[in-house]
Amino acid sequence: MTISRLKRKATKGLLLLVLALTYVFLFLPLVHIGIAAFARNFTYPYPPLWTLETVANMFANNLYRTSLLNSFILGLGSAVIATVFSTIATFGLLRYAGRHVAKFVLLFMAPLFVAEVLLGISSSILGGFFLQIPGNLISAMLANSIHCFSFALLIMATQLYRYDWRLDEAAMVFGASPAQTFFEVTLPLIWPGLLSAFIISLILSFNNLEISFYLLGATPTLPSMAWGALRHGIKPELYALATVVNIVVFVILAVIFVLMKTGSVKFGYRPERESSIV
Amino acid sequence: MTHKTKAVLLLGIPTAYLVLLFILPIISLIVLSFWKTESYHLVYEWNIQNYVTVLTEGAYLTFLIRSIVVSVIVSVLATAIGWIAAYAIWTYGGRFRLLLALAFAVPFFTGEVLRVIALQGLLGPVGLINGTLMKWGFAPVRALMYSNVASGIGLFYLYLPIAVTVIYLSLLNLDRRLIDAAKIFGAGGFRSFIEITFPLNLVGTLIAFALCFIPCMSATLSPRFLGGPNGTLYGMAMAQQFGESGTWALGAAMGVILFLFSLLAVVLIASCLDLRRTGFTGFGRN
Repeated sequence: MTISRLKRKATKGLLLLVLALTYVFLFLPLVHIGIAAFARNFTYPYPPLWTLETVANMFANNLYRTSLLNSFILGLGSAVIATVFSTIATFGLLRYAGRHVAKFVLLFMAPLFVAEVLLGISSSILGGFFLQIPGNLISAMLANSIHCFSFALLIMATQLYRYDWRLDEAAMVFGASPAQTFFEVTLPLIWPGLLSAFIISLILSFNNLEISFYLLGATPTLPSMAWGALRHGIKPELYALATVVNIVVFVILAVIFVLMKTGSVKFGYRPERESSIV
Repeated sequence: MTHKTKAVLLLGIPTAYLVLLFILPIISLIVLSFWKTESYHLVYEWNIQNYVTVLTEGAYLTFLIRSIVVSVIVSVLATAIGWIAAYAIWTYGGRFRLLLALAFAVPFFTGEVLRVIALQGLLGPVGLINGTLMKWGFAPVRALMYSNVASGIGLFYLYLPIAVTVIYLSLLNLDRRLIDAAKIFGAGGFRSFIEITFPLNLVGTLIAFALCFIPCMSATLSPRFLGGPNGTLYGMAMAQQFGESGTWALGAAMGVILFLFSLLAVVLIASCLDLRRTGFTGFGRN
């Protein structure tokens, strides 16, 4: 018994070690950006000579605020479009596709398997060459939403494909209208799927470069500014801006952590569903 | 509303959306690839010269083969590490599972450009790793400086979070009681993993692999800033046709070839899949 317990402990230790190393690897560049943002010697800030100048410069410059706002609008817009269409598509696929389901899955998932650069380039060919529409925030939003749509659909379909549609039918039998059924039965049950699809879409398009680059025209967003700045070398202000965004994200995660620790939110965690055998 | 009208509406609206914003652009890309560009102007003359150029000129073939090799290695590694990370979160994450998975999305809030530049700051000749090594009197690791290894590390860094997320989503849908049942009947941890957990998540694993492989094939940033002189990859060469070189038609032909190649990869992956073994029993409970 002790040997198997030892083995189990070793496996657990090893897996958690790899997980921890993965986090370190992922966050190391972000920490580098964070340190560089507050350092006078920002290209090689080891050890950093601290300064707050870049942060002050960043807040003083209007362009950074505009591009942050544009990025946010772009992300929010395509997340809304993607979530609405992918919700419709999920319902269609799971309930009404019947024997054509494979064809529709293929069509709806296809954008995932086309490289982002290609999506950007081909949309800009259609818009720029054939329709003669100059790139703007809306076209970038629409093109981004396509990629997000498939991701959102993937997330929702994996969470909803075991959804019990008899619940909807039960509501209808007891006289609920279709709208009532949706808002009082379906939506409360599927909202975690909807929310995660929305968040992932927002994250994907907020800082997308490869699709947006070809469609934005002259509209500045965070990634297009970073791309433009490369010609003269990255400015530390961009690091500072990214760090501000990261700090906000970490604060949100910390709040979620505290709320989970105290047990005020569960986010779908159900202890009764945990494995009973260790 | 009848069942039929609902079906037409719920499937027709997304289909129309995709046809307008996805199929039409791809068609325009294909049309453009059969024209030619001369001194920054499009010439509307049907020809297949662009394809001949891409498929016969040594440089483009080198980029394509190099891209395939790098992408396969990076995607296999990302899927493997992604599995370990997702499995560790799923098994030991307890109630903080969602938070641990969300943490993998955090790097996406920092732009790709900045992350690649930061990696350059860590791996490059004056970066943290080599800088520290030199300070202590060691020789710097040449493999990390502007090489295919460095650009591979960059790609791995960029697409690992996607692999983790997809495999984690797949694991979320696995019924843990199946593993419990296997253990009750005497299977060890390893055996229950090989015979239950892994095959039942094979679809997720393959999707994760494909979602790393395809962006790796078309990557522009990582090879450009980390790859050095011999690090040009296919996607980077393609993007250059639309930027500096102004040869859009050639770039479009490269895009079509890349598209066909991704399609081939997906079909190959899908064809070695036995859906029933992966636990797929149809959609929904009607």
